[in-house]
Amino acid sequence: MVNYMNKLYDFILDKEHHAYRHSVDWNLADEYAQKGLSAIERMSDRFERLCDEEKAVILDGEQIVFLRTVGNLPAIFTDKEWEEINSKYYIHELGFMSNLSPNYYDTIATGLLKKKETADEYGKKAIDNIIKLSDKYLEEAKKQGREDLVEVLTQVPRYPARNFREALQFFRILHFSLWLEGNYHNTVARFDRYMYPYLKADMEKGIYTEETALELIEDFFLSFNKDSDIYVGVQQGDNGQSMMLGGCDEDGNDVYNLLSELCLKASCNNKMIDPKINLRVSKNTPAERYTEATKLTKVGLGFPQYSNDDVVIPALESMGYSHKDAVNYTVAACWEFIIPNVGADIANISALSYPKAVDVAVHDSLKKTDSYDEFFGAVRAEIEKECNNICENIKDVWFIPSPFMNVLMDCDIYNGGKYNNFGIHGTGIATAADSLAAIKKYVFEEKSISKEELIKAIDENFENTPELLHKLRFEAPKLGNNDDFVDSIATELLDTFAGALKGKTNCRGGIFRAGTGSAMYYLWHANEIGASADGRREKEPFGTNYSVSLFARVKGPVSVIASMTKQHFENAMNGGPLTLEFHQSIFADDDGIEKVGLLVKNFIDRGGHQLQLNTVNLDRMLDAQKHPENHRQLVVRIWGWSAYFVELDKEYQDHVIARQAYTV
Amino acid sequence: MIGTIFDIKEMAVHDGPGIRTTVFFKGCPLRCRWCHNPEGLSFEPQLMYKDARCIDCKSCQKKCEHEECKPFGRCIHACPENCLEIAGRRVTAKELATELKKSADVLGKDFGGFTFSGGEPLAQPEFLLELIGELKDYHLCIETSGFCDSKIFKTIIDKLDFIIMDIKIANDELHKKYTGVSNETILDNLNILKESGKAFIIRTPLIPDITDTKENLDKIEKIIVGSTWEKLPYNAAAGAKYKSLGIEYQIDWRRNDN
Repeated sequence: MVNYMNKLYDFILDKEHHAYRHSVDWNLADEYAQKGLSAIERMSDRFERLCDEEKAVILDGEQIVFLRTVGNLPAIFTDKEWEEINSKYYIHELGFMSNLSPNYYDTIATGLLKKKETADEYGKKAIDNIIKLSDKYLEEAKKQGREDLVEVLTQVPRYPARNFREALQFFRILHFSLWLEGNYHNTVARFDRYMYPYLKADMEKGIYTEETALELIEDFFLSFNKDSDIYVGVQQGDNGQSMMLGGCDEDGNDVYNLLSELCLKASCNNKMIDPKINLRVSKNTPAERYTEATKLTKVGLGFPQYSNDDVVIPALESMGYSHKDAVNYTVAACWEFIIPNVGADIANISALSYPKAVDVAVHDSLKKTDSYDEFFGAVRAEIEKECNNICENIKDVWFIPSPFMNVLMDCDIYNGGKYNNFGIHGTGIATAADSLAAIKKYVFEEKSISKEELIKAIDENFENTPELLHKLRFEAPKLGNNDDFVDSIATELLDTFAGALKGKTNCRGGIFRAGTGSAMYYLWHANEIGASADGRREKEPFGTNYSVSLFARVKGPVSVIASMTKQHFENAMNGGPLTLEFHQSIFADDDGIEKVGLLVKNFIDRGGHQLQLNTVNLDRMLDAQKHPENHRQLVVRIWGWSAYFVELDKEYQDHVIARQAYTV
Repeated sequence: MIGTIFDIKEMAVHDGPGIRTTVFFKGCPLRCRWCHNPEGLSFEPQLMYKDARCIDCKSCQKKCEHEECKPFGRCIHACPENCLEIAGRRVTAKELATELKKSADVLGKDFGGFTFSGGEPLAQPEFLLELIGELKDYHLCIETSGFCDSKIFKTIIDKLDFIIMDIKIANDELHKKYTGVSNETILDNLNILKESGKAFIIRTPLIPDITDTKENLDKIEKIIVGSTWEKLPYNAAAGAKYKSLGIEYQIDWRRNDN
């Protein structure tokens, strides 16, 4: 990193740029209600006012500009109106468009003026407003004598980008505008693919070397972090700025290029939580690439997250995605598989709790069933019932229309897109599988625990049965030990879930996709039930996504990988990674790095679908809880995004601390 | 043949080439004061008690009928926080080999091999030999102090692919003082190792003021003459497991060599 970058970097990290921000106290909602404006009129008007209010701020040495100066987006509906809308429609989360992957490069290559020609009335207005805001930056650049920026902003965003710098700046303007409009989880998609032609051309002209290109990319990456604290999300860091590197083209050719490599390096150097780096790999990925990627893992950001083309692409195609679209897949905010440019899948619309299904079956059916198979039948029935419940209750989905998002997508997005599938997470698979394994072994096979005993112990939260707790918690078979006895139960659970959604059509004409993720449900769902038969006490959370139980004694990462790659992912491809946590010390030398890379390769070669690696240092986290001021930059991976540990709520911190870490 | 082990570690990275599985043998004839695997010292199963999680519920003090708990006067199955564990598992070579091969199968061609460590694997020679026989299709490595009858030493290393041997202290008096045994046999075995033609490296743990002195390191350098030498930084957390075994860690200060 060069000097100016260091200063700028510290400036952003120290949040000094927040000084340029102010909040607006406009009461737009009442005004709009009085005027009786439609949703789209409100979005259009608010965007105009915000663009107007935004000031042009160019920080010292910044190469990629645009900085939020308005810190809040005033509501466009009154509480009463929003209540009415909620009662009339199915509103997903905040109601604004999210988890979409618009076609940045088409606009970058076309310019906003040309895009205006085919935009609708509100799209045209949005474009005008963006150009006006951009012109403020152009003026500011002139004032500051920034000739480089004057040249860039004279060209973009009105006209197509002519070079790498202009392309990056154009992206920033588009992305910034999406956030300003109110869209969230605005993903980046296959950046290395669509931006590389610009970089390649510039390097051939001698405009950049690898070093200077890297510096510019670092500056560009920094821009994702400038305003992210005001983006919406469950915790800070949950903002969906996911970038997908690598992967293949329609003919199966590997598209990993120099830009892919530089992006990995830029993330290593910046050590910031955005953009979120994802890497598509396959059995053709050379071992050296895993070693390179593991150097980024070492940094401890939880990047990259790996997705296996060999498993994902065929599964997407079997779900109805065209080959051309399937090979172009990226991830949404966390890890859900979505299609750039044309996809409008709502990949996080709901979640199934496996442990809840087991819990209901234990209380309602265990005493009535005479065999494990019969009991599992009751569990299956609960899963099917819950799936029916979820699916039937999603009717009349409605999103607040986003005119500018509509401009950037390749299809009309107001009422859905080319693909309108709904994704359902599956929480707590390990807790459920472990519970069922314990019931199968002790209640039905060995008959060493009676049904009454078990139910009573669970209902009493094991308070009076420490030995039973110990047996279930530490001695019973657990998912993650390459033990077919329990691994096959996990397989059956995922198959049951996928089967329960099969054939169902959603209210937008799409299907339902079963997933292996949990998002934040691992906390919520865990509070819905009491203790469980795997020896989990009440209030203890489940593991995140596709992971083993928090307290399971597992032999090590090799066994975990073996257990978690046996399932039939082809039927359940909404996304949701296996998480492996390694202690920092394993990356201390090249030997360790190479071997972790080899382990990842092994996971992929075995048919694993998605993987995220976390690098932890327990002592550091515990100290960070006591002395947060000493650990400002400590980053941890949550369920699909990374966060600054000290900025997390305590329950998230505790969860990360409780996770299994493999040491050497 | 039955042997006693205290751990199997998948994904070991500093114990030889490739992703390896390391088996830790229980029992060692040495008593190095800096040993960071104290549960590997005694040949017998031992109780490990982790007091950090103890909630003092006294469930472990209730009488039980488990055979494995009888020597310890505590029921290890009763603890809701899993504070009690027995270090040391008796297993036949065949059983152990079957278990070990599972991780090899998972990794396939990415599997590096097995490493025998501990404790001192050479202290259970018949068990080790049988285990080697069961695993002969794999790359095999040993981490050893080299303190062993020379005939046995030669027999075993002949069957291995890679040897990691410690030379801790060159001076015999000091060696006896800090490890409890003479280094004469060790140095004899070093010669056997050199003459065997087998691939090996020598390791010396750098224990502050004990092994990391210029004098000691210079002498060792002369002894090992041109062999690959790894000097290991002192593990500041070496004393961590002593308390749980009721043993005192004799090096009462720490130094962070990073």
